[in-house]
Amino acid sequence: MKHNPNIERDRELLLGLARNDDKALSTIYKENFPSVLRMVLQYRGSEDDAKDLFQEAMIILFEKVQQGEFDLYSKLKTFLYSICRHLWLKKLQTGNMSLALPDELEEVLPVEDTIDEHVKKDEQFRIMEQAMSGMGEPCKTILEDYYIRKMSMQDISEKFGYTNAENAKNQKYKCLMRLKKLFFDQYKS
Amino acid sequence: MNDMTLIRDIERYLEGDMSMQEKAAFDALRQSNPLINEQVLAHQQLIQQLEGYGRRVALKEKLNHIHASLDMDTMKASPKVISISRRMLTNLAAAACIALITSLSTIALMQKATRQKTTAQYEDVRRVLNNIQRSQNALINDFNSKKKAPANPGTYGGTGFAISNNGYLVTNYHVVAGADSIYIQSTKGEVYKATSVFEDISSDLAILKITDSSFRGQPVPYTLKPQGVPRGEYVYTLGFPRDEVVYGEGYISAQTGFNGDTTAYQVSIPVNPGNSGAPLMDNKGDVVGIVTGKQTTSDGIAFAVKTANLKRLLEEMKDKLPKKEWNHKSRMEGLTRAEQIRKMEDFVYLVKVYN
Repeated sequence: MKHNPNIERDRELLLGLARNDDKALSTIYKENFPSVLRMVLQYRGSEDDAKDLFQEAMIILFEKVQQGEFDLYSKLKTFLYSICRHLWLKKLQTGNMSLALPDELEEVLPVEDTIDEHVKKDEQFRIMEQAMSGMGEPCKTILEDYYIRKMSMQDISEKFGYTNAENAKNQKYKCLMRLKKLFFDQYKS
Repeated sequence: MNDMTLIRDIERYLEGDMSMQEKAAFDALRQSNPLINEQVLAHQQLIQQLEGYGRRVALKEKLNHIHASLDMDTMKASPKVISISRRMLTNLAAAACIALITSLSTIALMQKATRQKTTAQYEDVRRVLNNIQRSQNALINDFNSKKKAPANPGTYGGTGFAISNNGYLVTNYHVVAGADSIYIQSTKGEVYKATSVFEDISSDLAILKITDSSFRGQPVPYTLKPQGVPRGEYVYTLGFPRDEVVYGEGYISAQTGFNGDTTAYQVSIPVNPGNSGAPLMDNKGDVVGIVTGKQTTSDGIAFAVKTANLKRLLEEMKDKLPKKEWNHKSRMEGLTRAEQIRKMEDFVYLVKVYN
């Protein structure tokens, strides 16, 4: 591949994204959102449509980068833009908007696989979201603190006023068992 | 073991909190009890999903935060819409029409000019036969008015080759274009009547069908190879520049044909009028192309349509000719060139066209 300073810069940004660097995230967002906004407005979408669309694309990008399976074979801008175009196309097809599909919405990059994968992940996310919202307190927060915010059991037991970490642990296991049931009931059906 | 202790053990196991001994015992339990193993996997999946969920929630929060800091108004304003008054629009439309007409006529003129130039450089290699045979039309004309010379006494010849066992042949479209009647002649001298059943001007190919009931097909020994052939690959051809089949060999010299035509190869091979429609074979005896023409301005430059085009054509006419009829196994591999040619000869025909 020929040397391309833009690709180099994109690669830096992606490395930042993989490190969970907020600055990289914000740079990518600010540089790429305007073109997506313009596309959506052009096809009579709203500002909120553009926001949803672009954030979904950012999630796809972020999750791919975090899994380490993102290979930059085009400019980052092109990738995000074409993901948004495909998502928009899907939305136009499924929604009750009876807009004729613009011819220009043809493929820019073959991103169908990426989007199919995303749809699957999205479903899992929704099930987990539903399961978590059905949990109630203090279970929800305990699980979030331990598994997501990675707090120690000691801190958690202090935060919730358990007499010792062992009690907190038992509570956490009970919560986890309930979550498991809620999640897999939905997930399998 | 109740659920509570199990889930605790699973978690300690997955988080690496167990001692070596405990771990070994749990591993053994996992192996012996598929239910436990399933639970472990489910637990692992659950935690992964939960962590993924957490990451996504955090990301969404960050994204919303960034979004809130954007200045939406300047962004939306950037694609400026210029309002045009109605009068100006009419003027603009008139100007655009004139510009359109001018450019279209220029394009038309240019194309005509290039086409003229093209025909000067490119030459079909069909052969004008000097035999005394005449077309049926011409004969009828003769009966009607004996004084008048036949309308077009010229007859043409090219080459064709079998693609199926039941009498389908390929040749060039320009060989059979405007034909009254088509006869094909095998190397053994047998002559059959054929009709053109499918023609494609863009790739310059025509599919013929032998209509004589006396024709008995033989299994075709070569395959059609639609894959691209690299530059430098040695190729050979069998054609009828005269009444005898003639062998010629050369190599693929470029991946595009005349004027950058991507459907064809440039081949360095001696071709003469009459070679049109001859098969181009590679070392293994697979058909990789069909000879169509040569460049008149320089020597030794010939062109051949890629087999992929032929395959596309055959797939289009799958009602008449199902794939199994032309998709046979090669029986040429491993044979020497001379043996391949001997096998091949029976399937290459002289195509005679009367018009």
